[in-house]
Amino acid sequence: MSDLVDQIGSCIERGKVNLASPYPKDLKGQEGADEYARQAIAAGIGPERILGACNDGMQRIGAKFGRGEAFVPELLMAAKAMNAVMAHLKPFFAAGTVKPKGQFVLGTVAGDLHDIGKNLVSMVVAGNGWEVVDLGVDVKPAKFLDAVRSHPGCVVGLSALLTTTMGNMAATVKEIKAQFPSTVVIVGGAPLSAEAAAQMGADGYAPDPQGAAAFLAQFAAAA
Amino acid sequence: MSTALPQFDRGHGVCEVAIGFGDLEIDRAAVVEVMGYRAGAMPEHFGELLDAALAQAATLSVVRAGYLLVAAGRVDERPGAVVLGGTVFSTQKIVAGALLRAERAAVFTCSIGPAMEEWTRAMMPDDPALGYIADAVGSAVAEALADRLHDHIGVQMARHGWRITNRYSPGYCNWSVAEQHRLFALLPPQFCGITLGESALMHPMKSVSGVIGVGTAVTHADYLCDVCGVRDCTYRAFHAGRAAHGAGGAAR
Repeated sequence: MSDLVDQIGSCIERGKVNLASPYPKDLKGQEGADEYARQAIAAGIGPERILGACNDGMQRIGAKFGRGEAFVPELLMAAKAMNAVMAHLKPFFAAGTVKPKGQFVLGTVAGDLHDIGKNLVSMVVAGNGWEVVDLGVDVKPAKFLDAVRSHPGCVVGLSALLTTTMGNMAATVKEIKAQFPSTVVIVGGAPLSAEAAAQMGADGYAPDPQGAAAFLAQFAAAA
Repeated sequence: MSTALPQFDRGHGVCEVAIGFGDLEIDRAAVVEVMGYRAGAMPEHFGELLDAALAQAATLSVVRAGYLLVAAGRVDERPGAVVLGGTVFSTQKIVAGALLRAERAAVFTCSIGPAMEEWTRAMMPDDPALGYIADAVGSAVAEALADRLHDHIGVQMARHGWRITNRYSPGYCNWSVAEQHRLFALLPPQFCGITLGESALMHPMKSVSGVIGVGTAVTHADYLCDVCGVRDCTYRAFHAGRAAHGAGGAAR
């Protein structure tokens, strides 16, 4: 049975979605994350172990990404494979058998339409067992505030790619902190640094999707 | 490429340039490198997706480009500001410095239209890797279009004995994207089919706007990364990679 769990993790790391998927080339014609997840559930493997395999697979591809051995397309294929597994776990979340680790409100700040980085964070965080509330791109502070109001106890993630929208990000952090001082806010994006994040009053800085997942894991452990 | 293309006077000095998709030099290898891959290192599957996206771009892009030549001047008490067509812009020091000796400026816009980004958006849910690659292709086409327009303007200005600077866009080199509203106010409404949202972002997204300094004493820099403050930038990494591997970098 542990073979199935290992296979799920391996398929996610390699981005092997299902039997029909031609990627990666050396696994063409073989079963993928979708089939192994179905088999694992049929074999009575608990959803927590399957979720753990998702986490492990994403961690491994994330580490490769961090080392420059994999790039965004590989990460997206891994996330797609993970989503195929998550589809099988949905009924367990709906029934309350598996509870999300928390709610993560995420969006690209006002003035910025870039969504690739934000989507990657969304997929990786969801794969780590969090419920993601994705507000989209060009999100004004009022929309973040509404989301925090609707999701008490959530963590907020702000994304930006343009240097010139860092001011909007800082303003958003400030407004969230003014109205909801205990709400934890993390920021990420190409123009940012840990120093810039601290200066704008954010609680954390995520240099990449795995950084966001690691921060949230620490937050969940401390809560 | 140093040839002028046909251009049409749209009144009040506004010119629209007839650029076709076939006039663009889209560097497939550069798209691969911008995504992070060294030459030959991209998995075959993604190469196939890239070719599919390039084919779609050729079909879906509706290319439009144009410019307006305006008077340029400086604001003595504000070193980070320039006057373009009677409007003061807080471009910040990098752009203001480049335009310091400009007597005129070409305010330009160009766009590949909305269809490519609509297709990209449609691909994202089921095939995010294709969606990502298509987005990179859309950006590459828009940049190639801006490069071709830049080139055309250079040839046009050379006929008057004028030189041109690099092209500079709001959102880069510390120039606030909010100033896009002032830039577009100099141009006819919906010029090249582009509109601005409340946050000063362009629709269609795969559009480029900006300014090019024109004059007898302006200069074109080979490489802009040295003066730009954005350290963690895809294009900086791309140019650094090309320089390290001997392919040579392209300046805008």
